[in-house]
Amino acid sequence: MDFTLSPESKMMVKAASDFCEKEILPIADSIIENNDYPEDLLVKFAKVRMLGLAVPKEYGGVGTTNLNIILIAEELGKTGTVCAWPMLMNNSTAETIYRWGSEAVREKFLPPLCDGSAYASTAFTEPATGSDPTAITTTAVPDGDDFIVNGAKRYITGGNKKGYGVFYVKDGELKDQKANVTALIVDKSSEGYTTSAPWEFMGLEGMNCVDVFFKDVRVPKSNVLGERGNGFRILLHWIAVERIEQAGYMVGLGQAALDQAVKYTKERLVRGKPMAFMQGIQWMLGDMKSRVDACRYLTYRAACIHDEEGPFDVVSSELKIFVVPTIQEVTRMALQIHGAYGYSKEYKIEGLFRIAAHAGIVASSTELNKTIAGSALVR
Amino acid sequence: MNIIVCIKQVPDVKEVSWDPKTGSLIRKGIPSIINPNDKNAIEAALQLRERHGGEVTVLSMGPSQVEDALREALGMGVDKAIQLTSKEFAGSDTWATSYALGLAVRKIAQYDLIICGKEAIDGMTAQVGPQLAECLNIPQLTYALEIEVTNSKVKIKQKLGDFHRLLEAPMPALITVEREANKPRVAPMDTILEAYGKEITLWDADDLDGEDENFGLKGSPTKLTRVYTPKLIKGKVEMLEGGPEEAARKCVEKIRARYII
Ligand SMILES: Cc1cc2nc3c(=O)[nH]c(=O)nc-3n(C[C@H](O)[C@H](O)[C@H](O)COP(=O)(O)OP(=O)(O)OC[C@H]3O[C@@H](n4cnc5c(N)ncnc54)[C@H](O)[C@@H]3O)c2cc1C
Ligand SMILES: Cc1cc2nc3c(=O)[nH]c(=O)nc-3n(C[C@H](O)[C@H](O)[C@H](O)COP(=O)(O)OP(=O)(O)OC[C@H]3O[C@@H](n4cnc5c(N)ncnc54)[C@H](O)[C@@H]3O)c2cc1C
Repeated sequence: MDFTLSPESKMMVKAASDFCEKEILPIADSIIENNDYPEDLLVKFAKVRMLGLAVPKEYGGVGTTNLNIILIAEELGKTGTVCAWPMLMNNSTAETIYRWGSEAVREKFLPPLCDGSAYASTAFTEPATGSDPTAITTTAVPDGDDFIVNGAKRYITGGNKKGYGVFYVKDGELKDQKANVTALIVDKSSEGYTTSAPWEFMGLEGMNCVDVFFKDVRVPKSNVLGERGNGFRILLHWIAVERIEQAGYMVGLGQAALDQAVKYTKERLVRGKPMAFMQGIQWMLGDMKSRVDACRYLTYRAACIHDEEGPFDVVSSELKIFVVPTIQEVTRMALQIHGAYGYSKEYKIEGLFRIAAHAGIVASSTELNKTIAGSALVR
Repeated sequence: MNIIVCIKQVPDVKEVSWDPKTGSLIRKGIPSIINPNDKNAIEAALQLRERHGGEVTVLSMGPSQVEDALREALGMGVDKAIQLTSKEFAGSDTWATSYALGLAVRKIAQYDLIICGKEAIDGMTAQVGPQLAECLNIPQLTYALEIEVTNSKVKIKQKLGDFHRLLEAPMPALITVEREANKPRVAPMDTILEAYGKEITLWDADDLDGEDENFGLKGSPTKLTRVYTPKLIKGKVEMLEGGPEEAARKCVEKIRARYII
């Protein structure tokens, strides 16, 4: 077992941190103000080749490891901005298209996802369901060379940004309740495809989560990802990938909270001395550090198992069970250390606390993941 | 067009701390970085390559860990890297540094431009670039804000205090660039992966066709006699009363009384 990162990985971390300093932090406040990021954000990621990281070069990707993606996600998490999400969404969606797509599908959809000309989405959730695939009501009915899609999706990240989305729909021709979900790649500028205004959330300003409405949208049959009726399996794969990426982002968020707490305790005087001298505070910091480290290595392990092509559905569920609440607690402790300033918008810590709350819900809920990990033990 | 970029590895001053007792730098455990200004030199070279084609070679003299700086330059996208490491080079001052770099440039032979940073954040003499040009007997264009190459001539906009000068020279020539010349790129992820697949050429004193007594400490005319922190004379703080205008007026009077303005 080797806990040291390769020199390449270390340089990638440095480059990602450089990128955050130059391109992300300067726009952080305006993203919150506008509840949106600049349109060219994805192109900026493409320029430093942070898209299509796990996609082989022949499709326009970089061909690196999932561990490296997680390391970059961690750096982006440290910025306490939403910016990781468009980048991670493109990476996880591209990885899934590469893994399941036919040669024609790969050639058509991967290059634009890698060069930043297309924003990716992955859409499963609907107004009436987020955790139950049998309850999907958006349907795709075959018609000649196309499907005609009708229905609505909810909370679709980047659903309003031009590009492609993998939409999980009920296949009108397939009757088997357990195998009637098909993954369809939809051009988000198709006729009949409309979106709501972005949802306003308690954190993650600029996430661009919208409701998507399909009214007789024609999607070529050649846009099916994998095989018809196999959508649920593909979805489970994508969600597992997304869970690891989300955990990487959370580790960065936790590290940022810890760093801010350490800085604050050195500056704030209590009874004439910096808070950092108080044992009770040191204990809190020690606690936070060990938690962030534990989360970090559990996340790296999941990424390495993914790289080794081992089964990673359960290990990625463990991240939801352990990393998510642990980092949430770390951000709470960091807020507590800041006293009233922590609760105020003067400091960044309240923002980290609010962002951390998303992770128990997005990319499958913590409870669902407890079921995945627990049931695997007694199966 | 072939460009040589000279880069120096320096301690990361952001991480440097001072020993409060002796007042000297604590260098132990300080990470090393590419001299920030030399990243401008790399960026300038990469931009020229994008416009005119050719190859960019980075050259650095220093102990074995300069490999990290060279790998980082490869990560930014330069084509080749040459490392000058030898115990003979230890203790080089700016003259001996330029001498060794000059010999290496002669050995490379095929080049149109050499680009250096204006100065290193640790040594800060801004001498190595100009001395290297003298050593090679080629024109030097210093403090460049902009670089343009046309028909085997190079033109720069030179920053000189409050005014600019436009300089032109035939190539080969040496340029030193300012911090404001450009925004060094973030190393792209794919180039980083390639950077570790590339071989770094390693030359020691024997590989350079030079005189032994000109290398390193022996070859350094400047001798360091003492390093010390000047004593700070603690000033007195004086609070000026009154409204902003009145206080400003009093402040100006006081400064004038000391012949500062
Ligand atoms: C910021 C944000 C971004 C999002 N982006 C996307 C996106 O890009 N694409 C997309 O498709 N969706 C997206 N979503 C939706 C998200 O994936 C769903 O909200 C999530 O899957 C949970 O579904 P739900 O909200 O419908 O909750 P429900 O499924 O209604 O669950 C409600 C509660 O019941 C619990 N529960 C449900 N089933 C079980 C079970 N079997 N056992 C125990 N407890 C259970 C849950 O844990 C939860 O606490 C996003 C949501 C947010 C907030
Ligand atoms: C403890 C200590 C003692 C020293 N003693 C002396 C001394 O006695 N006399 C003396 O003259 N100097 C001395 N130096 C300085 C040292 O020799 C210089 O750092 C070195 O010669 C480069 O000069 P500079 O840092 O001023 O670089 P500058 O001249 O400011 O650098 C300009 C540019 O030259 C290039 N360059 C500089 N160094 C290199 C390199 N090694 N490889 C490739 N390119 C390079 C880079 O492009 C750089 O941006 C000492 C330094 C230390 C730390």
